[in-house]
Amino acid sequence: MCSISFKMNVINFLEESKKRHPTKVALVDEEKSLTFQELYQEVQSFSTSIAFLNKKNIISLMSENSVSFIISYLGIINAGKIVHLISPEISEINLSNQLKSSDSEAIICSNTVKKNLSKFVSIKIPFFEFEDIRSQSTQDKKNIKTNNLAYLIYTSGTTSEPKGVAISHVMIEFTTKNIIKVLGYSDLDVDVLPLPLYHSFGLGCFHTSLYVGSTLVLLKNANNLEHILQSLEKNNATTLAIIPATLTKLLKLDRSVLENYFTNIRLIITNSTPIPKNTVQNFKEILKNGHLATYYGLTEASRSTFMIFEKNNEREESVGRVAPEIEIKIVSKDNDNLGMGEIWIKGNNVIKKYWNNTEADKNIVDRWLQTGDIGYFDKENYLFLKGRNDDIINIGGEKIVPREIEEVVMQIAGVEEVAAFGIKHEIFGQVIKLNVVKAKDSDLDKFVILTHCLKNLEKFKVPSKIDFVESIPKTDYGKVKRFMLK
Amino acid sequence: MTLATILSNEVEYKNIIKNIFFEVFANLSEADFAWNKEQKDYNNWDSFAQLNLITLVESKFDITLSLEESINIKSANEILECVRSHLK
Repeated sequence: MCSISFKMNVINFLEESKKRHPTKVALVDEEKSLTFQELYQEVQSFSTSIAFLNKKNIISLMSENSVSFIISYLGIINAGKIVHLISPEISEINLSNQLKSSDSEAIICSNTVKKNLSKFVSIKIPFFEFEDIRSQSTQDKKNIKTNNLAYLIYTSGTTSEPKGVAISHVMIEFTTKNIIKVLGYSDLDVDVLPLPLYHSFGLGCFHTSLYVGSTLVLLKNANNLEHILQSLEKNNATTLAIIPATLTKLLKLDRSVLENYFTNIRLIITNSTPIPKNTVQNFKEILKNGHLATYYGLTEASRSTFMIFEKNNEREESVGRVAPEIEIKIVSKDNDNLGMGEIWIKGNNVIKKYWNNTEADKNIVDRWLQTGDIGYFDKENYLFLKGRNDDIINIGGEKIVPREIEEVVMQIAGVEEVAAFGIKHEIFGQVIKLNVVKAKDSDLDKFVILTHCLKNLEKFKVPSKIDFVESIPKTDYGKVKRFMLK
Repeated sequence: MTLATILSNEVEYKNIIKNIFFEVFANLSEADFAWNKEQKDYNNWDSFAQLNLITLVESKFDITLSLEESINIKSANEILECVRSHLK
C-alpha cells in the first residue's frame, strides 16, 4: 500500500462537512435524500461491508447517478481501495479490456447494470448489486488502510483506444480548491448535476459540493430538459452543471420561461466541448443574476483553465485563463503558425503516469502533459482551442483544423450538426470530407454547402466530399469521435 | 430523347457550369468567361481551384469523375464534355 503524502483525502471532505452541517441535506436523487451525518454513517457501514473483498486494491463501480453510487464510491475509498469508474453503457469487449487492465477484484453496480452484466459471458469477476453489499454482515474496521489514489477512469477517447488514468487524492484536493476559488462555490449553494458521476466533469462537481458542504441534486438523464428545469425550481438550485449541447437545446424553449427557471441560478458550468457563440451570447442575457462558465481540462489534467463569460468580454469562443498554480505552454514545431500549437500542461492537477501503459507515458515529459489539443493564447492570455493534433487535415502540405470548417458550415440554415475530417486522396494526400446532419424537414443540398464554403473559406479548405448522415459519433460529453469517421 | 430535350439539357448544363465558374473564381466577370479559355489563361486556376471545380460539378450533376478525367480538364468546354459523357 502506498504511503500517505496528501493533506486531505475525499473522506476528509465528508468528515469536515459532517462536522459543520450534520443535519443538512447533502445528497438528493430521484428516490431519496441523505444528510451529511447519514451519508457519513452509510459510507462507514459500506466500507466495512466490503471487507470480504480483500484480495486486490481495485473495485469497479458501474452505475447511473444515484445516492447509492456516492455511498459506494466513498465507501470503497474509505476502505483504502481505488474505485474503477465504468460507464453503464460500456460494451462487453471494452469492459473486458478495462477489467483486465485494471485488475479489479469485483464490480459493484446498480440493479439495472447487474441485469446487463449477467448477459456478458466474458466477465469472470464477481459483481454485486448495491443491496447485495448492504446485506453483508458488517465487519471490524481495524484492517482498513489508506491509499493515495482515489479513482481510475479509462478515458472515453476522441482519437484512440482508451487509456487508464488514476487520480490521486492530492490531485482531487488541488482541483477542488481551484474550482471553489475561481467559481465561488459555498455551502449556500444547491447544485444540480444531470451529468454522469463516472466521468471527471461530474465527479469534480460532486467533490466540490462535498468539500464546501452544499446540497447536490443528482439527476440520471441529461437529455430530459423538462426534468432538469423542474429540478432547478423544485430544489431552489443555485448552480447547474451541463454540457454545451444541452444548453443549446434549451434555447429552443420559450425565452421568458427559460429566464424564469434561471432567475436564482448564479452559475452554469459547462465543459470544454465547443459552445456555439450564439449559445453563450444568449445565456449571458438569460442569466440575470449569474454567469455561464466553462473550463478546459482532460481527465489527466482536470480544470486547467476557467472562463467566466462576462457581459463585457466578447471572447465567447475562449476556454479562459490558466487556473491558479497551473502552467500551460503552446508548443509548435512550425515557425509560421501565428502562436498556434500543441497545448502542454503542468501542475498538481496532472497525472504523473498512465495506468500500466508505458506507451501513453511518453506523452508526459518532465511533468508536462502533451495533450494533443491544438490552441493558442491571445494577447490577454485567454486560451482558444482549435482541435486535436491527430485531427489536422493535410491537403498537399496545407494544414487545416477541422473546427474551422465546421464553424463555417454550422452558419448554414438547415445544418444541425457537422463533422469535418480528412480522407485519402491520390493527388493531395488528403482532402476534406463532411458528414452533415440536416435539421428536420430541411431541403438543404450539397451545392449550397459547397458554395457557402467557397465564399467563406480559402479554396484549399473547401470540402471535396459531403455525406448527409443521421448522426455523428460522439463521446458522452459531445466531443466528435473523429477516428470513427475516417 | 427529342432534339428539344437535348437542346434544353445542353442550355441547362451550360448555365450550371458557367455558374460554377463564377462561384469558384469570385472575381471572374461575364466578359472574362469563355468556353474555350484554358486553365493557363486564368490567374488563379491552380490545383485547389481545379479540385473545387470538380467537387462542385460532381455535386451539382450527381456524377463522379475519374482521377484521369479530373486531371485532364483544362477548360469549361472540357467540363461540359465530361458532364455530357456521364449523363448521356
